[in-house]
Amino acid sequence: MGEENSASRRGETVLLRDVVDHQPRPASDVVITHEDIDRAHDRERVSATRARRGIRPRLRLFWLLIGPGILVMLGENDGPSMLSYAATGARFGIGFFLPFVVLTFVMACVVQEMTVRLGAATHRGHAELIFDRFGPFWGWFSMIDLMVGNFLTLVTEFIAIRAGLGFFGVRPGIAVFCALLVLAIALLTHRYWTWERIILAAAIFNLLFVPVALMTHPHWGAVGRALLTWRPLPGGLTQDTVLILLANVGATVTPWMLFFQQSAIADKGLTTRDIRFGRIDTLLGATLAAVAALATMLATAPLFLHHMSAGNYEAAEFAQALQPFVGRWGAALFALGMFEAGMVAAITISTSSAYAFGEVARRPHSLNLPFQQGRTFYLVLLVEAVAAAGLVLIPGIPLVYIVLLVNVIAVLAMPPALLFLYMLVNDREIMGTLVSPRWANVLALGVVALLVGAGLLFGVSVIAPNALALIGGK
Amino acid sequence: MESEVESSHGGDVSRAEVRSVIAALEPDQIVSAKEHHHCPRRRLTRTEMVLFWALRIYLVFMMGVVFYQIWTGVR
Repeated sequence: MGEENSASRRGETVLLRDVVDHQPRPASDVVITHEDIDRAHDRERVSATRARRGIRPRLRLFWLLIGPGILVMLGENDGPSMLSYAATGARFGIGFFLPFVVLTFVMACVVQEMTVRLGAATHRGHAELIFDRFGPFWGWFSMIDLMVGNFLTLVTEFIAIRAGLGFFGVRPGIAVFCALLVLAIALLTHRYWTWERIILAAAIFNLLFVPVALMTHPHWGAVGRALLTWRPLPGGLTQDTVLILLANVGATVTPWMLFFQQSAIADKGLTTRDIRFGRIDTLLGATLAAVAALATMLATAPLFLHHMSAGNYEAAEFAQALQPFVGRWGAALFALGMFEAGMVAAITISTSSAYAFGEVARRPHSLNLPFQQGRTFYLVLLVEAVAAAGLVLIPGIPLVYIVLLVNVIAVLAMPPALLFLYMLVNDREIMGTLVSPRWANVLALGVVALLVGAGLLFGVSVIAPNALALIGGK
Repeated sequence: MESEVESSHGGDVSRAEVRSVIAALEPDQIVSAKEHHHCPRRRLTRTEMVLFWALRIYLVFMMGVVFYQIWTGVR
């Protein structure tokens, strides 16, 4: 173990401590906390496994190091995302949007890989680094973007939870209360590792959409053709198409993901030696999430083929509408998938807010903390979730509209968030030799350009729909 | 080494645990080290400032568009 750290210290990477302060630390500064002890136990297991040779230890190492990437990707397959995919399949069928959604997940991989390197190299959260490196002026802008976006998204998660359980006849108040209870129980572990495994187990249920898709007997030839040709796009480029396009981008790339994955990597204790596994973790998460997203589109495609108007459907209505095609069990799985999507995302998104708040307020922020020591962290997490849950119970709120707009807002807030990330991950003072290579920068800037372009297209579609018709060649 | 280290719990952290933490974690992973040593602030270049402001204005403008859409939708 000592060897691992010595090797890491001798490594070429210039770690944050080397540039922050070259003065030797006074002994009185070093305080060992409960959080340190828990994290050290996790790292001991990693080191012991890494020291062994063979396939089984490698698999065990993989098991120990994965988590944040899968969680962030399946967490982002949340209520509004799954509803966007369902609406896409129902309105446009199998065509342009299948390869487009795959592209959005490639974009998500490019972006999240940067947070893996940043978290492993600095051991600090995203909000903390933005405040430290760019100062409070820009730091607060970024925090406001995150907090507003997270709160609105949390509202939509509870909408999905309510709608998903509503299919089984559960009353809204009881559904929301049960979700809050699950969120609180997961926190009771006071242990990052245990919390992560519980949420990972829950997140796998995102794949419930796959059997539902198979029950609709998709036309695999049409699926293959769509993936290769990006066609057809029924109706061409209209205001509706642009809104769905943006909603699908916002369903895969959002600011909370940057903050969550970097903070989770720091909380898990990953180091520069673990970056390779962090990348595999992210890629695996993106693959699973893409499969679930495509399955959701395939599952609702029969509604398009039978010309059923699904424009204002909520999650439970999608499940009911699908019943003639997939049967009672298929519809139940769809509704359960919606509940799961909202539940896992409610947990990860509220955690990302709590991490960011703790980092900025300089309060303890870790899932390894007992409640006494992490009071602020847990309270921020719970208060935000309770407030969002309460809003959902107000009667008469236009839920479907909120759900689609939340994803649009996420896309609009992403370019400024990405600029911070881009600058941090190219900051040689904190990243050392782990700064982004040129090809990664080209990809990252490509993602920024795509997001800004999509946002501007949305602006044109709202302000000057006629101009949009010209762009679309009509 | 462990004699130089304090515990936030008073006496409830054993020497073995302290030894284990020191061995297992990189120095800048220890919470107290992170609290005491922050990353220094960097100076933004003119180009960076322009980019920051441009994207901020873009976001504010686009949020206006979103609110306009909500307003027209409600009407």
